[in-house]
Amino acid sequence: MKRRKIEIKLSQQQQQQTSQIEKQPETAKVPFTGNITIDLDQVRKELGHNSDVGFREFFLGNTGIRASIIFLYGLTDKELINKYILKSLMTNFPERHEHREVSLKEFITNQALTISDLTEVNNLYDTVSKILTGNTALLVDGIQEVIILGTTKEKARNIEEPVSEALVRGPRIGFTETLSDNTAILRQHGCNHNLSIIQIQVGARSKKELVIAFINDIADPALVDEVKERIKTINIDDLPESGYVEQLIEDNYLSPFPQVQNTERPDRVFSALMEGKIAILLDGSPFALIVPVTFSMLLQSPEDYYERWIPGSLIRLLRFLAAILSLFAPSMYIAFISFHPGLIPTKLALSIISSREGVPFPALIEALIMEISIEILREAGLRLPKPIGPAMGIVGGLIIGEAAVQAGIISPIMVIVVSITAISSFAIPQYSAGITLRILRFVAMFCAAVFGLYGIILFFLLLCSHLVKLKSFGVPYVSPAVPYRISDWKDFILRMPLFMMKRRPKMLHTRDSNRKG
Amino acid sequence: MKVSHKDRITTPQAVIVLINYILAAGILTLPRTSVEKVKTPDVWLSVIIGGLIAIIAGVIMVKLSQQFPGKTIYQYSQVLLGKWLGGLLSLLIVGHFFTLAAYEVRALAEVTGFFLLEGTPIWAIIMPFMWVGLYLVFDGINPIARLFEIIFPITVVIFLLVTFMGFEIFEIDNVRPVLGLGLIPVLKGIKTTVLAFLGPEIMLLLTAFMQKPNKATKVILVGIAIPMIFYIITVIMVIGALSIDGVVLRTWPTLDLIRSFEIQGLIFERFESLLLVIWIMQIFSTFTITYYAASLGLSQIFKMKMNPFMYGLLFIIYVIALIPKNINDLFKFGDLIGNAALVLFGVLPLLLLLISKVKGGKT
Repeated sequence: MKRRKIEIKLSQQQQQQTSQIEKQPETAKVPFTGNITIDLDQVRKELGHNSDVGFREFFLGNTGIRASIIFLYGLTDKELINKYILKSLMTNFPERHEHREVSLKEFITNQALTISDLTEVNNLYDTVSKILTGNTALLVDGIQEVIILGTTKEKARNIEEPVSEALVRGPRIGFTETLSDNTAILRQHGCNHNLSIIQIQVGARSKKELVIAFINDIADPALVDEVKERIKTINIDDLPESGYVEQLIEDNYLSPFPQVQNTERPDRVFSALMEGKIAILLDGSPFALIVPVTFSMLLQSPEDYYERWIPGSLIRLLRFLAAILSLFAPSMYIAFISFHPGLIPTKLALSIISSREGVPFPALIEALIMEISIEILREAGLRLPKPIGPAMGIVGGLIIGEAAVQAGIISPIMVIVVSITAISSFAIPQYSAGITLRILRFVAMFCAAVFGLYGIILFFLLLCSHLVKLKSFGVPYVSPAVPYRISDWKDFILRMPLFMMKRRPKMLHTRDSNRKG
Repeated sequence: MKVSHKDRITTPQAVIVLINYILAAGILTLPRTSVEKVKTPDVWLSVIIGGLIAIIAGVIMVKLSQQFPGKTIYQYSQVLLGKWLGGLLSLLIVGHFFTLAAYEVRALAEVTGFFLLEGTPIWAIIMPFMWVGLYLVFDGINPIARLFEIIFPITVVIFLLVTFMGFEIFEIDNVRPVLGLGLIPVLKGIKTTVLAFLGPEIMLLLTAFMQKPNKATKVILVGIAIPMIFYIITVIMVIGALSIDGVVLRTWPTLDLIRSFEIQGLIFERFESLLLVIWIMQIFSTFTITYYAASLGLSQIFKMKMNPFMYGLLFIIYVIALIPKNINDLFKFGDLIGNAALVLFGVLPLLLLLISKVKGGKT
């Protein structure tokens, strides 16, 4: 049933897409005439009202042949246009080309213009879309085709260290908003002729370039096809950020868990590619997407591999502990305080209970007050200008916490639990995974408030039931934990020495399973 | 209607499913029920013999299932016995599975109500538990097997940790003498211990789901041997700590063992909460696999989709779970299930195997 619905949806989408193409003005696909006056008028009608479009008319040398270039101010490289287009066409153009054996067009493209990126189009629609992406269109009287010259000057920021994924050790390089820069970084990072970079255009209204990167002789072809298929079904007028792509291709939109990994780090992307995964990069977004993803990958950091294996493994263990703490600490507190004080050591129970004396709220309300206020603090600190952020933390965390305890509204133990939880959740290397744990923490707290320890166990079972069902692009989300594959466990909770990791993860069904030659 | 390729499970997964199915309510009560019959500390011998008998029964069931690759008992019983008789047998097996599910759920409610949630009504404990189970079984055997794989290591680690901490109060004299009264008492306990190994019958369906059905015998051997080790450790530790006289007096002797020692200086001084955590998980696994087996049976007998049966069974299991009036009723109910299972899975598979051999010989 479900599948049939999806099929129907898909066919509807296809119909919509075709109808959108039909909706374009019918004149758009009409080829140019070759008469520069008529052709220029056509382009003017389409673009002339924009102040940032430049029309420059001139004669080819002394031949008296009219020509014109059309370009966007700002997006094009003026120096390139002046030096290598206008100069070579206006001053360096030979007087009589008729003596030559080649046609005018061939002469211009093959001899006159010293520019590497050169294509030809022959209709208005393509011309306009090329101009709008920063190319320069050259119209010459008597030539039917329009010559498109690649003069795009990308407005790029410099390559900087990624902000959201800081490392102590590792390359200080992050993706930028420019797709060509990003693919160049990937190429540079791994000089590998099997690295495939395939471009797909997405977005119905504003066309965006999207790139799928994978290693040809490692990645599972079925997986590559699956990713391509899903990207083709994207039907939306604009994709401002790769987060849109992520949400449109994920497996289960109801799940709190991220099923696509995002990263700013090229080294992370590249090592994922070497494992047989697939990266998706979108023009305009510094975040690359990696599929498929499993839960354990969200708790891994590239640094695990750059450090020696003992610290790498131990830190990874620490992170698993942090994840468990940030998920269960407040709910454990609620369960043991309000349901089973008998299960904790008597002295500890006594000291907790005496410190809670005078607190007017039940444990759940107490925990909720603190957890919600710390979430607000965190969100507020995120949006504030950088110099004010830390001050906010101090005011919020220290002063309010202290005052709340002094006022007897909150018990000191609760403040400790909340702080441990917050700090633990900062230790999760992936922001999106951290958010998931934050959401689930509240669910766990409510379960604990209703059923105590039993509620937490039920919550755990429900969570596991959900996780074992979840798949990311055909790979079970809980792998490599289950199904049991001993060889994949070398890189799971522990990070074994590099010489022992001879094989790529089996769960990804790679074409070449050997990591070592 | 053969099992689709996507639903296959690996051999280790089959082992884990079997182990998780066997380990359930029994681990808390076995020391008492067996000591009541044996009345000497030689219970662990009964456990071993019981396990061996379970292995034999399991191997017979596997051999039977291997005659019909890719088919479950619900499907091939109709081939063997004809539509009506086979259907009846399948219905009996379905009945076994869902009454067992109800028994486990009720046992959970009793223990949880007694140790963790005093005064909470039984329905309130049962209902959310069953809903979580429903959510899990919706997507077939594969997620179930994967969940069991998550639960199993947690169970092993916590179980070993908790029981071996009981060494503090372990007294070797309590488990001696070995065979002081001869073999007769040991034999008396066998029926009880065999019932603790209730579970190999799942192989009647599980073999059809295995990627390599020819390894099903191995699954039986490993899948029963590991629970046997669990049971032996439990029985010896409990009797060693509480003595046979003490064991008989307690409803949940294993839990009392954990409650009767305290270790200073750790975050927890008492560990019954940890044992309860893994025990609830084990009940959950037994509940979900029996629930799934019953739903699968109904859907295959009536050749319909599984989901409506799941909802229906949820209600039936709930009602059955509420029938026993008190804990003694519950244990009687458990004995009833056990006796029925002895006939259903001890005798019948052998008969079926003979029939299939005779029929197979003819053609």
